[in-house]
Amino acid sequence: MIQFLQQLINGLSIGSVYALMAVGYSLVYSIMSFSNFAHGGVIMLGAYFGFFALTLLKLPFIPAFILACAGTTLLAILVERIAYKPLRERNAPFLYFIISAMGASILLENIVIATIGPTFRTYPPVIPRTPIQLGALAVGRLDLIMFFISAVCLTGLILFIEKTKMGKAIQAAAYNIKACALMGVNTDKIILIVFGLGGFLAGVAGVFFGMKYTVYPQIGNITTKSFIAAVFGGLGSLPGAVLGSVLLGTIETLVAGYLSSQFRDLIAFVILIGVLIFRPSGIMGKTTVDKA
Amino acid sequence: MLKIRDLHVSYGGIRALKGISLEVQAGEIVTIIGANGAGKSTLLNTISGFLKPSRGEILYKGSKLAKRPDLVVRSGICHVPEGRLIFANLSVLDNLRLGAYLRSDKKAVLEDLEKVFALFPRLKEREQQMAGTLSGGEQQMLAMGRALMTEGDLILMDEPSLGLAPLLVKTVFEIIETIRSMGKTILLVEQNAFKALAVADRAYVLEQGRIVTSGPVAQIAGDPAVRAAYLGSKSGKSCG
Repeated sequence: MIQFLQQLINGLSIGSVYALMAVGYSLVYSIMSFSNFAHGGVIMLGAYFGFFALTLLKLPFIPAFILACAGTTLLAILVERIAYKPLRERNAPFLYFIISAMGASILLENIVIATIGPTFRTYPPVIPRTPIQLGALAVGRLDLIMFFISAVCLTGLILFIEKTKMGKAIQAAAYNIKACALMGVNTDKIILIVFGLGGFLAGVAGVFFGMKYTVYPQIGNITTKSFIAAVFGGLGSLPGAVLGSVLLGTIETLVAGYLSSQFRDLIAFVILIGVLIFRPSGIMGKTTVDKA
Repeated sequence: MLKIRDLHVSYGGIRALKGISLEVQAGEIVTIIGANGAGKSTLLNTISGFLKPSRGEILYKGSKLAKRPDLVVRSGICHVPEGRLIFANLSVLDNLRLGAYLRSDKKAVLEDLEKVFALFPRLKEREQQMAGTLSGGEQQMLAMGRALMTEGDLILMDEPSLGLAPLLVKTVFEIIETIRSMGKTILLVEQNAFKALAVADRAYVLEQGRIVTSGPVAQIAGDPAVRAAYLGSKSGKSCG
């Protein structure tokens, strides 16, 4: 029982970080109907930004964290302006967006390999490694912080989308971007905000991933799993992305804990294929149909 | 109010509009009739800033009209698109509020909301319902109400009667007249030429990207060529 709870806590903590990444995929998908594969690259650079802010600039943790998030926000917006905006202006088919996204992803990874190098780097020990004892449970401080900050960020995002005028405009654009423009909404600005939000959360996730594991140019590959989580929950749905991520994180840690960590990714992909076969729109995917 | 001069628009390699000139005066209902593919929707989408003209100009209230959809709305033109395009994932109330996206005077917005609810009591009853659950006719009313919330003076309507039952078609045209009586100007694109000519003051007939004839509705409805092509029969009653 103790072991199960322990695994559950680890699962929730890692799942919440998947959620930070997954909502980035979902937000962009909901508006532009393509999967922004460059998102993984932005997360990877978030990990590097945080790492260098701590080691080179010798900033304290919180300013370093904020700097990393500001960096990824700008980077995500830059990717949109360079890789996608020219395609949007030409009304290019969505396949072109996916190819451009893959190109941007490969570009980001190789820029890092060419300039920073392919070596693995370890974050300085900012958060003490000693766990907190809660009765018989030992909870990692980093896991606790990851879970808490992720929950705050995701709640903030959902409140923004649900409660503000701009958030409603984002939802309207997700349903039909042309009709949204007809309401006087500057849809170019909406797209910018969506990429900025995704980029900010990518920074949070990147720093956490760097701290939890190590920093290396292919760290973006991990984000494949958050993409799976987004599909699992229903691509384009924010609550779906969060739910899918938490479920995936939990299942993964339980598999690693009870079966073998070798099986962890295998299970992730089996779930993805299963979802695609039996429920292609995911747990909470868009299913509304237009009436004539 | 709206003046279009020698407008040419091409997209996807097709010359959709080949030199359109037309004018809409304040307070008028002007209709553009024509077959499928004549360029009616293209014309509205160009006015709204979704398509860029290759030649010609659009003047609104004496000055050149902006070429980006949100700026067109800001200058006072709203567009009820073909297929309504209501936000099915949002409530009826949220749909109407989005119409007022650019307005900051909350009191005036609330007053207009009441006006829209007075015009469409069905929307008031369904205020909190997801717009996607509305019937086709209710969705058309929502699309019109949403456009009224933008506070535009000129309303572009694209096929408002499309896909509606005959009884609802009648209601939609009654609403168009009511909206005009509220001080709005309307540019109406319709395939239902018979109904459109009954409600409008003037009409333009669009064929393959060109205006072939125009004038007061009585004159257009009496034109033998128009009658044969768009009113379907000699009596001119079969399209109702």
